Amino acid sequence: MAADRNAILNTVRTHLAEILEMEVASIDEGNTFADDLGADSIALIELVDSLEQEFSKSIPDFAFDDDDLAELRTVADAVDYIVRAHG
Amino acid sequence: MLPIAVDAMGGDRAPSEILAGALEAAALGIPVLLVGPEGLEGTGDLPLMHASEVIEMDDDPAQSVRKKRDSTLVRAAEAVRDGKASAMISAGNTGATMASALLRMGRISGVARPAIATPVPVPGGTPTVLLDAGANADVQADWLVQFAIMGSVYSTKRYGVDNPRVGLLSIGEEPGKGDALRKETYDLLKACPHVNFIGNVEGRDLMTKDVDVVVTDGFTGNVALKTLEGALKTVIGELFTAFAQPEYKDAAKELLPALMPLYDTFDPDSVGGAILLGVDGVCIISHGSSSARAMVNGIKVAKEMVDADMVGAIRAAIATSLPS
Repeated sequence: MAADRNAILNTVRTHLAEILEMEVASIDEGNTFADDLGADSIALIELVDSLEQEFSKSIPDFAFDDDDLAELRTVADAVDYIVRAHG
Repeated sequence: MLPIAVDAMGGDRAPSEILAGALEAAALGIPVLLVGPEGLEGTGDLPLMHASEVIEMDDDPAQSVRKKRDSTLVRAAEAVRDGKASAMISAGNTGATMASALLRMGRISGVARPAIATPVPVPGGTPTVLLDAGANADVQADWLVQFAIMGSVYSTKRYGVDNPRVGLLSIGEEPGKGDALRKETYDLLKACPHVNFIGNVEGRDLMTKDVDVVVTDGFTGNVALKTLEGALKTVIGELFTAFAQPEYKDAAKELLPALMPLYDTFDPDSVGGAILLGVDGVCIISHGSSSARAMVNGIKVAKEMVDADMVGAIRAAIATSLPS
C-alpha cells in the first residue's frame, strides 16, 4: 500500500511539536530544523529516535541511517525519507 | 531502594577511581550497580551490567548515543528507564550524558529543555544553584523561567531552602540591564507567581548569600562556572605557593587549619556533582577528573535525590506552572 504522505507529515509535525514544545500549526513542511525551528542536535536526535519508534510499527526495522542524518535539513526531508522507506 | 547505576568507564580517571568510589559508597550502605565491560577488574562484589562500548570525552554527544548503543553511558540510562536502577551517575562526556538521559529516560511532561544545575559553593552558607551550566547554549526566555522553577525545587529539596530567591544573571542589577533575552526573561520572571524572583544579579553575586538560584543560558553559565573555578584554583595555588616560602612557614602553620575547611568547600570533589533537571529520572553529572571521593559524594547526592523524590517534585512544579 502506498504511503499516505499527508499522514506521515502530520505525524512528523506532531512529534516535532512535542519535542520542541511548540504548536503543531506553527510547523510547516518547508521549515528547516535548525534555522526556522531552532532545533539543536540533541532535539534532532530526539526526533529521529521518536520517529523510529513510531514508524517501526508500520515499517519493519525502520531506522534512519546515521550517514543520512546530515541530509535531513527540513521537515519535508524527514517526511520524504519515511515515504521512501515505505516503498 | 533500587541501586544507583554508575558508569564505570566515564571520566579521565576511570575506571580505577570510579570503582574505588563505587565500592566506598556501597560500603556505606548505598546499593550500586556498575555499568562496564565484561571482565572489568576491581569491581569487588558489586553487580556489573555489561556494556561493550565507551563514549569518549571528544565524541559528538548526540551522534555517539546513536552510534554506541551498547555504551556504558547509554546502558546506565536504560537501567533507570527499565527500572533496574533508581538513578545514574557518570563522570564522562557531559553532552553525551545529557543526551543519553534525555533519549532513554525522556523528558518530564511540559519541560521544554533539561538544564544542568551546578551548586556553587558559598563560604559559610548554602550553595547557590546555577543553571543552566552548559546543556543549552541557545535558550528562549520561557525556558529560563522553567529553569528558575526547576532550580527552586532543587534548592529546596537538596539544601532545604524555603522559598529560594531566584536571580537572573546579567550585567547589572537594574531591570533594564542586559541583552534582549535578559530583558524579556526579566519581565516573564517578574510576572511568574511560581518563582521568588529578586531581580538581576551579577557574576560577583554567585558565591554570596544574597541569592539561592541563578538562572542563565548554558553558554554564559558554563563560562561563569569555569571562570570561577579557574580563578579559585589560581588564588588557592598562589596561597599555597606563598605558604611554602620559608619566611611564611610559621604563619602558614597558624593559618592553614582555618583555611583548610574553606579549601574543602571550594574543592569540586566535595560538591557531589551537578544534576540534570527536567529528565524523567535522576542523573548526576560528575566532573571529568572525578576522584573516588567525588564519586562517593555524587552517589550520595543521587541517593538523596531519589529519596526526596526530586523528579516527582519537579513534575508537580512544572505541571502547576503550565497554563490550564
